[in-house]
Amino acid sequence: MKKILIFMLTLVMGFMFVNFTIEDKKTPQDEVKSEAATYSVPDDVQKILDNSCVGCHNSDSKNIKGKGKLKFDEFADMKLHKQVGKLADIAEVVKEGDMPPSKFIKNYPDREPTAEEKEKLVKWANEMAKQLTPAE
Amino acid sequence: MKILKLLILILIISVVIIQFIPNDKPEVVLANENDLIYNNQLPENISVMLKESCYDCHSNETVYPWYSHVAPVSWLVVKDIRDGRKELNFSFWESQSKMDKAKHLDNIIDEVLDENMPMPIYTIMHANAKLTKEERQLLADWAERHAESLFE
Ligand code: HEC
Ligand code: HEC
Repeated sequence: MKKILIFMLTLVMGFMFVNFTIEDKKTPQDEVKSEAATYSVPDDVQKILDNSCVGCHNSDSKNIKGKGKLKFDEFADMKLHKQVGKLADIAEVVKEGDMPPSKFIKNYPDREPTAEEKEKLVKWANEMAKQLTPAE
Repeated sequence: MKILKLLILILIISVVIIQFIPNDKPEVVLANENDLIYNNQLPENISVMLKESCYDCHSNETVYPWYSHVAPVSWLVVKDIRDGRKELNFSFWESQSKMDKAKHLDNIIDEVLDENMPMPIYTIMHANAKLTKEERQLLADWAERHAESLFE
C-alpha cells in the first residue's frame, strides 16, 4: 500500500515537474512574440542616411517635395503600415539607383553612396520592413 | 507637285509596311484568382475607379482600344501596358507580401495625388478614366485605410 502511494506521489510530482518545464519553455517565446519590433537605425546605416539622404528628407529640409514624401526625423511617428511602405520603397529606390537624385549626385559626387553602402542600406530597409510587418 | 505626290505615296506605303512589324500585345486574362477586386470587398466607387482608370495598364484585364492595333501608336500603347503591369499588377495582388502591398498602396497615394496616374496621355482617349480632385482624394483615402487594415 505504501509503495503504491509513493509511486503515485512520484507520478504526480513528475507531472507537475513536466508541466513546469513546459511552461518555462513557453514563456520566453511568447514574450518575444508579443514584444513588437520598433523602428531603429544602426549607426553605420545612420551615417549613410546622414550623408546621402537626410539633407532632403528631414523636417527642416528646404526640399519641399523631398520632405513631403519622406522625413527621417519623424519616421517613427508614422503608423506602422506607413513605416513599412516607406521602408520597402527606400529599398526599391536605392536598389534601382533612383535615389539620391542624379542631379544631386552630379553636384555632390562625394555624397553618392558607394555600392557597398547601397547594399547595406537596402538590406537594412528590407529587414526592418519585414520585422515591422505582422505575420501573414 | 510630282515630288509631293511621291512623298505622300511613300508615307502611305511606310504606314502599311509597319503594320506588319510584329508587336506582341501583353496577353489578356479575365479570371485572376489573386485579383485585388475579386478578393476584397472594396467600396463600389473604388472598384469602379480602379477598373476604369487603372486596370487597362495595371492588370491582366486590358481592353485594347481600336488604335492599339494600328502602328506606330500600338507600339506606345503596348510599352505602357508592359511597363505598367511590371510595376504594379492588380491581377496578382494577393500573391505578394504584406510589405509589398504596403509599398504599392503608399505609391498609389503619391501617384494619384500628384496627378501622375492615370497617365495623362491615356485620359485623352479615355474620358471616363479622368479623375476629379475629389475622386483622387477618395482613392488615396481608400489606399491609406486598406494599408492600415492589413496591419491591424
Ligand atoms: C536632392 C534631394 C534628395 C536627396 C539627397 C534624396 N532624395 Fe529622396 N526624394 C527627393 C524628392 C524631391 C522626392 C520626390 C520625388 C517625386 O515626387 O517625384 C524624393 C522621393 C523619395 C522617395 C519616395 C517616397 C514615396 O513616398 O514614395 C524615397 C523612398 C526616397 N526619396 C528615398 C531617398 C533615400 C533613401 C535617399 C538617400 C539614399 C534620398 N531619397 C535622397 C529628394 C531627395
Ligand atoms: C496608360 C497606362 C496607365 C494607366 C491607365 C495607369 N498607369 Fe500607373 N503606371 C503606368 C506605367 C507605364 C508605369 C511605370 C512607369 C512610370 O512610373 O511612369 C506606372 C506606374 C505606376 C505606379 C508606380 C509603381 C510603383 O508602385 O512603384 C503606381 C503606384 C501607379 N502606376 C498607379 C496607378 C493608378 C492608381 C492608376 C489609376 C488611377 C494608374 N496607375 C493608371 C501606366 C499606367
